[in-house]
Amino acid sequence: MILETKHINKYFYEPEKHQVLQEVSLQIAPGELTAVYGESGSGKSTLLYILSTLDRDFEGELKILNHNIKELSATELTNFRNKHIGFVYQFHYLLPEFSVLQNIMLPAMKLGNKTKEEVKYDAMLLLKELGMQDFTKRPSYKLSGGQQQRVAIARALINNPALIVADEPTGNLDQKNSDMTFDLLKEITSSKEKAVVIATHNPKIYQNSDKTIEMIDGSIRL
Amino acid sequence: MSKHVITVTNVFIAFQYLLARKKQSFLATLGVMLGVTTFIVMINFMTGVNDFLDDAVFNGSPDIIVSAKQKKSTSKQLFGVSINSLKKVNEINHLLSKEENVQSFAHQIISPAILVSENKQLPGSINGVFPSSEKKMVNLERRLIEGKGFGSLLDDDNAILLGVSLAKKLEVSVGDQLKMILPNGKSKHLNVAGIFSFGITTIDNVRTYFPAKTLQNLLGQPDAITHVHIKLEDRDDIRLKTELSQHIDKVLIEDWKDANKTIVIGNKVRDILTWSVSFALLLVAGFGMYNILNITVVNKRKDIAVLKTIGYSAKDVIFIFLVQSIGIGVLGALFGAGLGYLISYMISTTPLDTSDFIIVDTYPINFKLIYYVMGIVFGVLTTILAGYFPSKKASKVDPVTIIRGI
Repeated sequence: MILETKHINKYFYEPEKHQVLQEVSLQIAPGELTAVYGESGSGKSTLLYILSTLDRDFEGELKILNHNIKELSATELTNFRNKHIGFVYQFHYLLPEFSVLQNIMLPAMKLGNKTKEEVKYDAMLLLKELGMQDFTKRPSYKLSGGQQQRVAIARALINNPALIVADEPTGNLDQKNSDMTFDLLKEITSSKEKAVVIATHNPKIYQNSDKTIEMIDGSIRL
Repeated sequence: MSKHVITVTNVFIAFQYLLARKKQSFLATLGVMLGVTTFIVMINFMTGVNDFLDDAVFNGSPDIIVSAKQKKSTSKQLFGVSINSLKKVNEINHLLSKEENVQSFAHQIISPAILVSENKQLPGSINGVFPSSEKKMVNLERRLIEGKGFGSLLDDDNAILLGVSLAKKLEVSVGDQLKMILPNGKSKHLNVAGIFSFGITTIDNVRTYFPAKTLQNLLGQPDAITHVHIKLEDRDDIRLKTELSQHIDKVLIEDWKDANKTIVIGNKVRDILTWSVSFALLLVAGFGMYNILNITVVNKRKDIAVLKTIGYSAKDVIFIFLVQSIGIGVLGALFGAGLGYLISYMISTTPLDTSDFIIVDTYPINFKLIYYVMGIVFGVLTTILAGYFPSKKASKVDPVTIIRGI
């Protein structure tokens, strides 16, 4: 298993105490593309932040690659996330001060396992696979939405993480780019080594995923 | 901060942010630069003036003067009176020789006199000195403009040394003759052997040096002296003054603070001015820096959140923002030191109209290296301090809040 949760409960205290997640227990295996869907406010984003280790303020257990996430120190968690988890967001969130290539290289430079030249090579390889090799030097803010999302996916993949988490990755894209983005995410699982979790409203995504998790009022329905 | 935080990548990210907002970075650098420049120029100039005055005053005048009280003249007769000399010279000598804080002391006999040159007559006073002991009190060689120093008083019993302003008024130069008329009516022809300048009008206007022996003989008061001048090891320790006044009566005792009140106060005021203005400017530069970084942190919350999700820790974020302020601080401080030197140099070569108070060709400037080091250190410290709080704030950005907020 890449990821496993047991009895996760989560509360919001503002404006009043309110349970967002109820007894969420799930497992995600390598090679699986899992879609989490549900209405706004059903708790799917909240679940995604927990699964991606950004939010540790919950009850229950979360294990990723057999590490109990709650037991990691802040520094260990940052390093763990850097190494094993890739993120793709709805709004791409590339850093505008940096070029396409630099954006992709940032997580790998932080990881520090490879020389700058090696990282550059890896990044170029990824950009080629995503059809973005002609944009390496361009500042990231000078790309279209679809192009930015492809760069964001490349950035998520640069450290070869086991888990890729995507929050509404197609939410801000037109049909064509949306399909392409989904195909890219789908392809990540093809090697049977990585898992992808997507929170989405897009029926096309959850209809075509390996596994779907429907969220209703904080509970999951597998 | 650990090694993991000080990485090439983090420094690269920091500089990328600086370069991305060139205008703001430039303005922040300019602020630091002006602060450091002003600090250096002010401290160079103010301490230059202070040192100049200290040097002139304390080299030209003793730390403590013991003099005979002049009796109130009962008659209006100016000539024919004898000079009131110090009575307990031996006791004073004894007291001074066993006092550790006394560097050296010298006797003088000072008498009113009228100096007559070819074209002018001036009332003034004659300082009769003992050259060998006076040499230890005053470094006259350094002050000489023309002629010879105390040595000439030993060679020629009728040699006189004059302050430059006095010589100008009398319209004499080295080699000329002067006539001196003493209160007892005796007169004597003197040879001008040297002209000196202490740079301070109050000294250069009136000071003369003349062999004490000759003066004593002319006055008919052999061995009489009127003043004891004392130079101290530690000028600020004037316990000696109290001791003298307890043991020796009927004398006037004056220390350097009494004699140079305006200069002492002036130095203090200049010191306060220098430090407060420099501090205020650096503070303003610091606030500018703080503001710019704070705005950046607010504007860049999303980017900081992204950095944190892709593996950059809170410490990395602090370092990235701190490096930005240090970069600005170092750059600004170095340029500030350079500009400060340039302006100081320009001031030091600016001709200065001789005022009534000091006589100097150009503005006195102190080029001590320590002030440049201080300026740079202060500049960098200010920016580090100003950058720390926004950096801390940046490190506290919570990715979930930011991402959810969209």
